[in-house]
Amino acid sequence: MKFVLTPDWFLGKDILIEAFSFIVLFALSFICIKNYKLNKSKKCLYLGTGFILITMAQLATIATKLVLYYDIGPSQQIGSVIIAYQLVKSVDIFYYMGFFFHKLLTLIGFYIIYRLPIEKKSLEDFFLTLYFIVIFSILSIGINYLFYVTSLVLLLLITKNYLSVYRKNKSQNTKILITVFALLSLSNVIFILSKVSTMYILANIIGLISYIILLILVIRISKYGKKTKQDGYNIRHTCDN
Amino acid sequence: MEKKRSRMDIISDILVIIREKGGDIKPTHLMYKANLSHSQMKIYLDKLIKKRLLKKESSGGSNKIIITKKGKEFSVKYLQMKEFENTFGL
Repeated sequence: MKFVLTPDWFLGKDILIEAFSFIVLFALSFICIKNYKLNKSKKCLYLGTGFILITMAQLATIATKLVLYYDIGPSQQIGSVIIAYQLVKSVDIFYYMGFFFHKLLTLIGFYIIYRLPIEKKSLEDFFLTLYFIVIFSILSIGINYLFYVTSLVLLLLITKNYLSVYRKNKSQNTKILITVFALLSLSNVIFILSKVSTMYILANIIGLISYIILLILVIRISKYGKKTKQDGYNIRHTCDN
Repeated sequence: MEKKRSRMDIISDILVIIREKGGDIKPTHLMYKANLSHSQMKIYLDKLIKKRLLKKESSGGSNKIIITKKGKEFSVKYLQMKEFENTFGL
């Protein structure tokens, strides 16, 4: 069975893209948790949890691909011993588990981020959706595009949520966030159509661009508030106390 | 009409105003710029001085409110947190 769709010449480069997205997601998760420590807001905690899960999903795929591409860990053992059927089977299970966790954690992470603005959160609904996510993740191992279709739906819903946020706050940073999720949605559309290797690479590149934009957002938030307008500026002329 | 400021918003405004003035400000200026009454400002100043975010200095018969390093750091962290919440609509 083919575990990854990456063309041979692109092997390794996709890991670099995933490593970069891992770093960006890790930084964003860190900001979420830092803010949660400051304001104890549950929404901040949920958002942080969502991003941490996606970060862990990236880590799962990086680790699995490293073993798969560079013959380390379980694959090396195959070379040093007589290839036994059971051993090959265990290596297969390792790859299955790696990609399964990547899909599962990504989908749960996206789902948590999507659910954030929903005021009435039913635990039954959450577990029912979680059940479907697990089923989809298992099925996605055989039918790869099922994962991309499911994440596309979630990404579009997240983009729609942030569009509503933008209509209220008109913030430049929210606009950047919408661009990130819209580009991630686009990369998923291309992944669905990626029977041809060039399409697969294009999807990876669009994914990389979206994470570069996310990094710009992380930097903008981290720099915010450090500089102030000097003198003669009253920050709130019209507010009530 | 804008939303009523929370206590934390007022504290953040006070700290930002002092930072914008270069780190120190006369109490009367602060009162006008932060849109606070005299009694309100006294309560906030006492609290912030007690928390070591601000300090008071007198020289030549006039008082000055000075922001401390801790005050500057708190102001930056709070503004970043607010921007983060605003970005994600939290």
